[in-house]
Amino acid sequence: MAQAGEDGMESDTQLLDRYAAGEEPAFEELVRRHKKTIYDLAYRMLENHADAADMAQKTFVQAFLHHRSFKRESSFRTWLYQIGLNLCRNAIRDRARLAHEDVEEVTLTAPHDTFAEVANGELKDRLGEAIRTLPTRQREALVLRVYHNHAFAEIGTIMSCSEGTAKANYHHAVDRLRLILVAGEGLP
Amino acid sequence: MICSEIKEFTVPYLELDLEPVRVREVTIHLDGCAKCRAEMEAVRQVLVRVKGVTVPDPGDQFWSEFPGRIRSELAHAQMKGQGDVTPLRRPISARSWLGTAMWPMALAASILLLIGAWSLKGLVEKGPVQAPTEQTVAQAPQGSQDLPHPTDADLETYWDDDPDTVLVEMAARLDRRTVDRLFGDI
Repeated sequence: MAQAGEDGMESDTQLLDRYAAGEEPAFEELVRRHKKTIYDLAYRMLENHADAADMAQKTFVQAFLHHRSFKRESSFRTWLYQIGLNLCRNAIRDRARLAHEDVEEVTLTAPHDTFAEVANGELKDRLGEAIRTLPTRQREALVLRVYHNHAFAEIGTIMSCSEGTAKANYHHAVDRLRLILVAGEGLP
Repeated sequence: MICSEIKEFTVPYLELDLEPVRVREVTIHLDGCAKCRAEMEAVRQVLVRVKGVTVPDPGDQFWSEFPGRIRSELAHAQMKGQGDVTPLRRPISARSWLGTAMWPMALAASILLLIGAWSLKGLVEKGPVQAPTEQTVAQAPQGSQDLPHPTDADLETYWDDDPDTVLVEMAARLDRRTVDRLFGDI
């Protein structure tokens, strides 16, 4: 069995090795460590609980299904982010296509669900609307930087682009939000 | 540094992500430029507001069920032949083993073994066949009177000729109470 790290905790890759050997507790621990991060990412990209829960679940399923494809050139968490973002992009694309096909679906917002309506008013205000209008890549950079505190190099790895591109996406996102909010609320 | 250059450094300045030399240059410019100070404040407000947007926690029940849902979908995908998953090895418990289709067969085998053991014990240990007396019946332990009687001459007589029939006959004499007593712990 792999040795634990200096802090006594097994690393993600050690847990993944144990999972590959068929050990149930390693699976549980990997999910426990990263479930909230991935759910948060999915929620901020998809804006409702039902889709976020579904996407977070799919992210882990894909990761465990294809764990041998993980090259270990990045951290397991970064790999989860990559899978999660890809799934979110697909979902956003599908939503846009459905909205285009259905003339009554005039916005790209997610289907209503009770949980979101009751518990989350904040993403529905003007700022939420402003964030929603951001291009997907800018939004990804914003979420990864502001809410998940990643360095731009890491954001570049997750988004499969250069550090400079990640930084540019983030700066454009902030600038765009500023313009929208200034126009809407008379900020300086 | 001029106004058009400041814009590029606004966000890194607010996030303390600039080299000290740049920080000094931006600060000097801001001190003397009200327009750039206003821009800087606007961006700062945007960042503060964006950071304040929270994601509601879906609750303990959701999180406690979350691994199970992943496991279930994973198993479903495996059954469809997707991915490269190694099936998880769960610790084998008595409950899960008994939950399989094997237990009725095991129970039946146990009954037959016990019946066979009784029969053989009677054949080996007993001497000449004797008819049961009232005394031997009275001395039998409580609850054993419904068992095949060990001195049942008919069964012993037929044992050598047709043991299968004898076993069936002995099994037929087992009533529910005896089965419960024998296998109640299983």
